[in-house]
Amino acid sequence: MNIRFKKGLFRDRWFTAGFFLAVFFVALTLFGPVLSPFDPWDMSFEPISPPTADHILGVNDGGQDIFSELLYAIRNTVVFGMISGLVALGLGVLIGLVAGWSGGLIDIILMRVSDVFLAVPVIMVLILIAALFRPAPLFLALILAGFMWPTISKTIRAQILSTREAPHIRAAQQMGGSSWYIIHRHLMPEIFPLYLVGFAAKCRMAVFMEASLAFLGLFDPSRKSLGMMISYAIKYYYLDIWWNWLLPPIACLSLLIMTVTFLAISLEKVLDPRLKDTLKESTV
Amino acid sequence: MIDPINHYTPRWLGMAVAFGVAALIMIYLSYSLPRLLPGDFVISMYSSSQVTLTSEQETELRDYYMEDPGFFKYALRLAHLDWGYSYAFLMPVSALFFSALPWTLLLLGTAHIVSMFIGFVSGVEVAWRRGSRLEKGMVSTMTVLEGIPEISTGVVLLVLFALHLEWFPASGATTAYAELSFCAKLIDIGHHLALPLLTLILAYFPGNFLLARNSMVMVIKKPYIVTAKAKGLPGRRIRYAHAARNALLPLVTRFGLRLAFIITGALVVERIFSYPGLGTLLFNAIKARDLPLIQSVVLVSSLMVLAIILCLEIIYRIIDPRVAYEH
Repeated sequence: MNIRFKKGLFRDRWFTAGFFLAVFFVALTLFGPVLSPFDPWDMSFEPISPPTADHILGVNDGGQDIFSELLYAIRNTVVFGMISGLVALGLGVLIGLVAGWSGGLIDIILMRVSDVFLAVPVIMVLILIAALFRPAPLFLALILAGFMWPTISKTIRAQILSTREAPHIRAAQQMGGSSWYIIHRHLMPEIFPLYLVGFAAKCRMAVFMEASLAFLGLFDPSRKSLGMMISYAIKYYYLDIWWNWLLPPIACLSLLIMTVTFLAISLEKVLDPRLKDTLKESTV
Repeated sequence: MIDPINHYTPRWLGMAVAFGVAALIMIYLSYSLPRLLPGDFVISMYSSSQVTLTSEQETELRDYYMEDPGFFKYALRLAHLDWGYSYAFLMPVSALFFSALPWTLLLLGTAHIVSMFIGFVSGVEVAWRRGSRLEKGMVSTMTVLEGIPEISTGVVLLVLFALHLEWFPASGATTAYAELSFCAKLIDIGHHLALPLLTLILAYFPGNFLLARNSMVMVIKKPYIVTAKAKGLPGRRIRYAHAARNALLPLVTRFGLRLAFIITGALVVERIFSYPGLGTLLFNAIKARDLPLIQSVVLVSSLMVLAIILCLEIIYRIIDPRVAYEH
């Protein structure tokens, strides 16, 4: 694993683009409520009016300010993706570490369990639960995370299996270092780049899932979301207001998924040693 | 490095067990989750209708709906295609399911075969021309396209080509009530299929292209390719007869991992274009809160997905005989 990966990362222009887009979206998420000029649930404006100086993107059919709606929608989508990605990462790292380090029967059981979770089509479970119980979005994010960890734990386990034979780990064992000491002082920091790859990939999936579920109408209708804005706006295509109502959520959703895609692809490229010289030749 | 899991158990056995357990989990979830719902089914159904029930009828209905068949019987009914009765459409669930299934298979199957083929061929060709401007341009375009979800492409195509220019129909799979000859009917189906198909191809193609290109780049550095070049074989023969077979493998192995995106995308695309497949059926069922229909569509399509992944595992063995001999 390359320790000086930071240098390599910023030399990749996809990573740079993804990084700055990510900073932009995180800033929107943090300061969204401050930036939004109106309360997105306030229905007191003139319905379906074109953009004015007050309402930058106009007003929707329910008399709500579209720009404020958009800011809250981005916030919801980003938070959903981050929570789901972080929980999946935590589970994946924990299970991968335990399986790779302890080996034997525990390893076999954990890897079989992750095969089962890999095979279950998670979107179907989410639809079933969302349609039956209408749970809070946080709950759906956690369920999604509960099905996304196996890919992370498999890569981590494979890396641990090769790292545990390395001379410095052997040396630490000979000096009497306990399992816990070796795991948290040597193994966990060494596989750090893998966390980033896993987190970016899982965020991408979670954002995609959130937008799709919202588009299909499986979330609480009062929750602002990019997918739901698109599905409402498309009903009014004939009014010729698509460029201020339909286009902004589509553009934001595409940019958001591009952000995580760029990060996931470039992280994988830079950190996968087998692809290393591909990177040097083609993208610098 | 010996992988302990493969060392102890044969891989096919592990896979089969994993898929069996996954199938059981799905069946159990669809059996048990609706039973956890609060409230009374009979009240929620008949309170909003014009029908007034006598207390006798009410207890009878309640007995009928609350009857718990037990998990084993539930699984048995599933196998007999007895999936219950849809409240919203007033039809047996299995009839609805099998009338929607062919459209989904047509749409998804065509999209996959086309995007797999053009993704693979263009990936191989581009990898062969390493460092050219064509390669850099293609890789950049595809990376950007990979970041655009089906919702965006689908809605843009719908607004542009179906609603603005009116070149293609905006919904459905055939023209309703049109009495057409066989040939005209085929053209009509193709005309309706064009936009959703294009959306799905735009969504699947970049991933296939990038995977094929990356694996081909690694394969053509192998010594046996150098040997083939040294023998003076023509380039096309080296690319397709020697290298491409190995470059094809990641496309098959990564399929299972990309499946979550594929199913979700298909649901969304069918909904955007109101294509009468399983996705639209599921969407209508969700809108009408038609629980038996939701339950069956979710369950049966998950089981079909499991079967497809298992088939891929077998295909993988055929195109890569090395897997069977490992360790």
